[in-house]
Amino acid sequence: MTIAVEAKGLVKTFSSRSGTVEAVRGVDLAVHSGEIFGFLGPNGAGKSTTVRMLTTLTTITAGTARIAGCDVADDPDETRRKIGVALQEAGLDPRQTGRELLVLQARLFGMTRAQASERAVELLELVDLVDAADRLTKGYSGGMKRRLDLASALVHQPEVLFLDEPTTGLDPVSRLVVWDEVRRINTQGTTVFLTTQYLEEADALCDRLAIIDDGKIVCEGTPQELKDDLTKRRGLTAEPSLDDVFIDVTGRQREPVEGEVREVHA
Amino acid sequence: MSQVLVLGERALREAKRTPDAVLPTLFIPIFFLAVNVGQAAKIFPSGETAFLEGQNYAAFQLPATLLLAASFGTSALYLVEEIEGGYFDKLRATPVARSSLVMGRMVSEFVKLVLMTIVIVLLAVPFGIRIDSGPIGFLLLILLTALWAVGYSGFLQFVALKTRSAAATNSAGLVFFPLLFLTPNFVPRELLTRPMEIAATFNPVTYVMEAMRSLILQDFNWSVIGKGFLATGIFVVGMIALNIHTIRKYD
Repeated sequence: MTIAVEAKGLVKTFSSRSGTVEAVRGVDLAVHSGEIFGFLGPNGAGKSTTVRMLTTLTTITAGTARIAGCDVADDPDETRRKIGVALQEAGLDPRQTGRELLVLQARLFGMTRAQASERAVELLELVDLVDAADRLTKGYSGGMKRRLDLASALVHQPEVLFLDEPTTGLDPVSRLVVWDEVRRINTQGTTVFLTTQYLEEADALCDRLAIIDDGKIVCEGTPQELKDDLTKRRGLTAEPSLDDVFIDVTGRQREPVEGEVREVHA
Repeated sequence: MSQVLVLGERALREAKRTPDAVLPTLFIPIFFLAVNVGQAAKIFPSGETAFLEGQNYAAFQLPATLLLAASFGTSALYLVEEIEGGYFDKLRATPVARSSLVMGRMVSEFVKLVLMTIVIVLLAVPFGIRIDSGPIGFLLLILLTALWAVGYSGFLQFVALKTRSAAATNSAGLVFFPLLFLTPNFVPRELLTRPMEIAATFNPVTYVMEAMRSLILQDFNWSVIGKGFLATGIFVVGMIALNIHTIRKYD
């Protein structure tokens, strides 16, 4: 099986006036082509920093990372051609329309004006934003922004799509819409690397997942493997949930929050 | 180059959609022109003041107006917004040359200031201001103003990239005011007091202002014009280099 994302001994340290902080402390990962890989962890565990290193947005302090065969540090531009990125904040330009934003994104990936316009139309249809295409994005709802962000990450048909907490802050219905989009994108052959705080999301979407805590991977496997492992180790009679796995490996607590899913708090 | 133009086009669209941010950059310089001329024009009557070269005091003040208009660099504030909102990371995740990411906004500042210079000069014409160096001199005046705007917006972009703070970027914009007043703003350099003359001599803005003034009040004085373009050129090249270095190290 081909490896789409590979990290070996990935380390990131930040220096500040108060000293050096080691945000990621030797992460090893291997994500297979065509799978949806979940990357879970509590706030501040190192999820986003790992994603930022893998997507060329942050330099790697130590270790190596390869995306679809490209070394992230040595060939960042080629890596950028192979990845699509939708970050935590759904970063959109509020002074552009949805269509303009997609056309710009496509042109930055080397398409001509005509090709970019055509691709924008396809993507607007894909994420059901045709009616809002010529409105400024500052007027979009949270769900619409996420969908547009997702579309903009897909303009160049990337081999690997990085989604950093794509449903944080969304209502349950919008969350399900994003889940459907992720599944649809994946069935078209795109590998999805998804970070989330929502364990139900990981359970519903991911083929395999890894849990990171305090900058280190603490467990990795399919959701079922992780549950089976906990059942065996603890001698449980009923099947545990992914929440139970998470609490077991991180020692964190959980609290109910609004909506249908539960958020993990450090 | 095409990526720079694509990003520049986007920044121009942004400016067009935020007239509330653009209009003050036109109004404030014209306001200062009116106030300065209103306060000092009687001291320097056109017929009796040799350094006015037969024009009125507004013509002498016009370079300060153009320089002020070229030194707002509002696009740097949009850059901070983009950094804070996450869109800048979205752009950084594309295979665009890092230099294009910073040059796009500089190109838009150039175009904006070409248009603003034309508007300001056209508004000044009914008040008796002429461009004595003729149409080519007018083009050089536009070019010099727009290039200065590129350099100054580059300076503010550098602050924005370094600090990622709107407050710091805004404050950095104020640096221009002491630079503007340490120039032969109200009278020629030879009429300044000795300490002010020394300060003005070390201030690059002086040479840009004198070149603009020369284009407005005289026929081509290439020595003065050349110094203005040289100072602006060094400033622009320096700021572009600083921006490219900063974006490459941006983490």
